[in-house]
Amino acid sequence: MKTFIKVTEIWVPDKQRTHLEFDSGLYGGLVKFKAASEQQQFAYNEGLPGKAWAEGRPLVLKEFAQSYFKRTAAAKKAGLTCGIAIPVFSGDFLLAVVVFLCADDEHHAGAIEVWSNQDSSKQSLKVIDGYYGSLHYFEQISRDISVAKDQGLAGLAWAQGLPVLIDDISKADAFIRAHDAKQAGITMGISIPVSDHLNSSYVMTFLSAKATPLAKRIQIWVPDSEGEQLICLEGYSKNPNELAQLFEATTVTKGVGALGRVWLTGMPVITGDDDADYNPELASLNTMLAIPVIEQGRLKAIVSFLF
Amino acid sequence: MNRLNVLLIESDSTCSALESALNEAGYLCLKSHYDPDFLKLIKQITPDMLMFNLQSPSKKLLADLQAQQLLSAMPIIMFATDDNSDSIHQVIKAEVCTYIVNGLDVKRLNSIVSVAMARFKHNQALKQALEEACAKLEDRKLIDRAKAILIKTQNFTEDEAYHTLRKLAMDRHISLGEMAKNVLAMSELFK
Repeated sequence: MKTFIKVTEIWVPDKQRTHLEFDSGLYGGLVKFKAASEQQQFAYNEGLPGKAWAEGRPLVLKEFAQSYFKRTAAAKKAGLTCGIAIPVFSGDFLLAVVVFLCADDEHHAGAIEVWSNQDSSKQSLKVIDGYYGSLHYFEQISRDISVAKDQGLAGLAWAQGLPVLIDDISKADAFIRAHDAKQAGITMGISIPVSDHLNSSYVMTFLSAKATPLAKRIQIWVPDSEGEQLICLEGYSKNPNELAQLFEATTVTKGVGALGRVWLTGMPVITGDDDADYNPELASLNTMLAIPVIEQGRLKAIVSFLF
Repeated sequence: MNRLNVLLIESDSTCSALESALNEAGYLCLKSHYDPDFLKLIKQITPDMLMFNLQSPSKKLLADLQAQQLLSAMPIIMFATDDNSDSIHQVIKAEVCTYIVNGLDVKRLNSIVSVAMARFKHNQALKQALEEACAKLEDRKLIDRAKAILIKTQNFTEDEAYHTLRKLAMDRHISLGEMAKNVLAMSELFK
């Protein structure tokens, strides 16, 4: 199954906490790009991860050539054309930066957006950054609208402080661009509140088509009402996956397992074997990225992308 | 009439008794000597059987034979004069079917070839059975590990874990072992 995201990386502060160094990554078959990345370091405000750290908000970089992107030659060889960096903060302090890299593909329909309430009233969200590939009309519509709290996918996530997933966006009343999304071939969307910085809130939305989903499966985990266990609020994939559902019926204890570690440390994690793909026709899930959603130093949710 | 394609390797290129006997017995015989291109020659002519007539097999030859048997097994008969027990041990490791010391008697050639062929087939059947048993054992281990994970994470009984695993495998039209691999991979993600 082709997924929209080709490369996923986690960058973490080094011992002095002045630079970002490579923590882990999923590169599929992009071995040379992986080798070019593993040795890389980024200072504050340097490269895509360093820039996201400095600006305190998610960034979308649509053109690598003549930009602040540091691995342009390697990315070009690997066919990667777009980068998204999502900083994970606890208060003022950076815990990690998650980077997604995508490839231009005429067969894909998808968009990645950064919404923020940067208007004077701070009461509505607008797209401040986005990658739409060839969906030019949908981009125009999206950049023109603003949404209030509780309105649209981004507004819902902003209001709830939680990730919101809509599996059939063209039919969702909550999604105000439903008609345009359908025209653009977009079927599914997830919105994730990512950071508050300098009195502005930021929400990421990932919109994708059935043929090129974001990931093979996406899960949203939240602490239970007692705050003692994580429970799976939602699991979504293009095709039903009973095995994944079995694991989603379990609860997660703080500190135990990959998701438990994300809860304990607030750090995103990548797990699994990037090289193993022994049964792709079964959509076997062999790698996972789990990103924490942190609000005022507390874990609100974990979004896991399974590839 | 035998039409087995035999590659004959002799250290004494002037000796022709064995080659003649093979031809007379109806085998298709190609005679050569051992050299560094030995494996390439086998690949090129794809013989049904290898036959050697030499004093003692060198380490290099035995290593080549081991490599060949891994790649594509074939019956091997070796006539030699070396009766050293270490040499015999190495020859057996190289999967030589018949090793005859100081016993080249062309009158017995047909029976020697027949015994070698029969032993080769028998050994191949044993090897295949062993491989299947190892694979089943490996599957059994995977299934037990997957069951243990389902028991631990889902609070299943052993029976429930087994039946869940079997249902998942049946739904996907795959073996229990293959399904167990999927469960283990999924569990690795959450480790």
